[in-house]
Amino acid sequence: MSAKPRETANVGAGLWKATGMWAWLFFRISGLVLVFYLGAHIIIISTGAWAEGGTTFTDVMKFLEHPVALVLDLALVVAVLYHALNGVRIILMDFGIGIQKHKIIFWSCVAVIVICFVIFAYVAFSYIANGENPWALTGVMS
Amino acid sequence: MWSWLFQRITAVLLIVCLAIHLIYTHIAGIGDLTYDTVGQRVAHGTFTALDIILLAAGIYHALNGLRMVLMDYWFTSRKRALALTIVLWVVGVAFLVYGIWGLWPYIGYKVG
Repeated sequence: MSAKPRETANVGAGLWKATGMWAWLFFRISGLVLVFYLGAHIIIISTGAWAEGGTTFTDVMKFLEHPVALVLDLALVVAVLYHALNGVRIILMDFGIGIQKHKIIFWSCVAVIVICFVIFAYVAFSYIANGENPWALTGVMS
Repeated sequence: MWSWLFQRITAVLLIVCLAIHLIYTHIAGIGDLTYDTVGQRVAHGTFTALDIILLAAGIYHALNGLRMVLMDYWFTSRKRALALTIVLWVVGVAFLVYGIWGLWPYIGYKVG
């Protein structure tokens, strides 16, 4: 592409054909989702410190093992992984690494997210289907 | 400049600590989540330290990220940006203190 069409290609709707813009937009959206989640997480988990013997906390934990909560968790896994991996891509670019290859790096990130998602989804759906976690570390910490 | 640098430092901290945190809670923990099992996990000093690092780095990274987003929209002037920064610091420190207050009693927690 010569200089002229390259310039005009980045105007208006054409801007959103660029991988980098989508990477930026999803980074921002996932970031805002995670800010909201962190606040909710601190407030919900801290119920454990309020109730004597932790009955409220155990009720909350029971809800967190409900299929709906597990599916929402998978959405969270995608948001966290995308934000983390695209963050690494940005840090690399800060050091001047991979600027020419940023699109390949972006799609590699997407591939890693898909692989991790499959692993997390396998555990979540096994639990939903059988009520058992295939990889549980029960008793390891006690 | 400093907020840019700390955003990178907390990012790296979060990647390491959050990986451990997520594997423990989302893979190893499902099906075994009660007050006692979670209490035993955070009773270990290592996990308390990990959680406090996560809390501090997470709150800083989250609120500084939110600050950068908001400064693209309404908080564009120096005055508004400063007001926003002060409010976010107050919120952040409050959440940090509250989070540590919530974690502290579990150090050495035993069932029964």
